[in-house]
Amino acid sequence: MRAQAVLLRAAALLLLVAFVARPQLFAFAFEPLTANNASAIYDQGSLLALTLSHLRTVFLATLASSVLAVTLGVFVTRPFGQEFLPLSRSLVNIGQTFPPVAVLAIAVPLVGFGEKPTFIALFLYGLLPIFENTLTGLADVEPQTLEAAKGMGMNARQRLIQVELPLALPVILAGIRLSVIISLGTATIGSTVAAKGLGEVIIAGLQSNNVAFILQGGLVVALLAVLIHGGLAAVERAVARRLGRPAGAATSQPS
Amino acid sequence: MIDIEHLTKRYGATTVVDDVSFRVEEGTVAVVVGTSGAGKSTLLRMINRLVEPSAGRVLIDGKDTMTIPEDELRHRIGYVIQGYGLFPHRTVAQNIATVPRLLGWDRRRIAARVEELLDLFQLDAAEFATKFPHQLSGGQQQRVGVARALAAKPAVLLMDEPFGALDPVIRGKAQDDLRAIQKRLGTTIMLVTHDMNEAFHLGDRIAVMDRARLLQYASPADILTHPAEAFVEELVGTTERPFRLLSLTTVQDALEPGSAEGQPVPLSASLRDALSQLIWLGRQALPVTDSSGAPVGRISVDRILRHGRADP
Ligand SMILES: Nc1ncnc2c1ncn2[C@@H]1O[C@H](COP(=O)(O)OP(=O)(O)OP(=O)(O)O)[C@@H](O)[C@H]1O
Ligand SMILES: [Mg+2]
Repeated sequence: MRAQAVLLRAAALLLLVAFVARPQLFAFAFEPLTANNASAIYDQGSLLALTLSHLRTVFLATLASSVLAVTLGVFVTRPFGQEFLPLSRSLVNIGQTFPPVAVLAIAVPLVGFGEKPTFIALFLYGLLPIFENTLTGLADVEPQTLEAAKGMGMNARQRLIQVELPLALPVILAGIRLSVIISLGTATIGSTVAAKGLGEVIIAGLQSNNVAFILQGGLVVALLAVLIHGGLAAVERAVARRLGRPAGAATSQPS
Repeated sequence: MIDIEHLTKRYGATTVVDDVSFRVEEGTVAVVVGTSGAGKSTLLRMINRLVEPSAGRVLIDGKDTMTIPEDELRHRIGYVIQGYGLFPHRTVAQNIATVPRLLGWDRRRIAARVEELLDLFQLDAAEFATKFPHQLSGGQQQRVGVARALAAKPAVLLMDEPFGALDPVIRGKAQDDLRAIQKRLGTTIMLVTHDMNEAFHLGDRIAVMDRARLLQYASPADILTHPAEAFVEELVGTTERPFRLLSLTTVQDALEPGSAEGQPVPLSASLRDALSQLIWLGRQALPVTDSSGAPVGRISVDRILRHGRADP
């Protein structure tokens, strides 16, 4: 079971690298999908470059979401920040329910075309899972553990850093993973506002009615998602183990 | 030494601890007993200021605890709670090292102290130091909890139902161990429990609380023979009284000159154990031997029964 999953993931990685680096090798597979002698492989730019900038946008946006969401989650669970919990929840929820396309439409006039509006849309969209998981992770710390920490003379900061955050970490990481996966797919719409990313391939396919392109863009995004999901889940398990959790007690199950 | 002076805690209009005063002498164990909700935990938690008193004060070795910064105060007072509150993400060694680390001890000193404590609590360092709490049995977790509380050599140890989660057999052993360690280290202990047997087993003095008030603070024998109020008498359990009294007294106190036939009873045994043996063997008297095994006299049923009376 375990070995099979590893093997599958290795195969996916191999396929991804080969396809992004040498897409022409796969032309035979996509030719049946084209009409009128259109090219079978996306040729308006380097797939590799698009993949890298796609990842970059997702990475930066998730990093920013994580920093803000975790900070906010910690803040509203402290005594001095508790009254801001409902407000923060609403704001973060709006970030999630407001469609990213609409965010793009609003952001472009403000910050111009390119990566920036995409970054903003992904950043807002990614806050909710991380914020909610931070709250859950912190709330799940046993009151007895906190009582003991306090009773042994840890101050509020020591309790947060030495006890609460380490114990909440696996749950927070699961939130970050969810956010990354959502962003990977959502980032494709960035190409409508000229951000470099895998959406370009899909849009080029839509414009020229070339199913092969659409499929290629989708395929690369899907492979990225599968691999990153697996990688992050493995990191979560490693962290949970280091924190002394019994195997399988962490939030994520092997996928 | 802990001095509790007119300590009071109110939450809104309800008084949870009402003007409680008593002193726990250096190197002794005071056990606080009482029904659920009597205010025992609140009283205990006011000593390390996890709960701020509404009135009154606590002195430790003569020093008002309010004059010490609260974290610093807690570094100096060991604290064990029911369920132990071990840090699940830290190993046994790291758990025990908590307060020394907060105090900034150097690595070597911490390692030596951890080893010493594991040894004291009969936990093999090679096996247990790197285990996580969830890999331990209840009894082992309990020992780690107490070891952690004692790590920085506190003069005072507070324990809130530290044996509540253990099964009766392990509980008895844990109580004996605690008593032995307390004797050896000379720690002053204040322990909260529901369990009357535990109170009589461990306490040099027993504080009986009911509905926020301290009803009586006295030695176990006094609590038995001179209960201050009907409630104390009831709590102690009237049918248990003579037997409790007998378990507080050792054979030494009821020794008679002379000799007897049969399996000898050690001088240090409690009268309760001696009586139990006499009944079991169907004898009126048994020989008594000291720790070296030399005969020193005899113990008889008559004499024991006299020690179990209200007015001996
Ligand atoms: N923070 C609080 N706010 C309001 N009331 C409280 C608070 N903490 C405790 N109480 C009340 O104070 C009373 C005494 O509580 P405490 O925990 O000291 O009892 P206890 O004797 O330890 O009981 P138990 O044996 O069940 O542990 C209870 O009625 C409890 O509801
Ligand atoms: Mg209690």
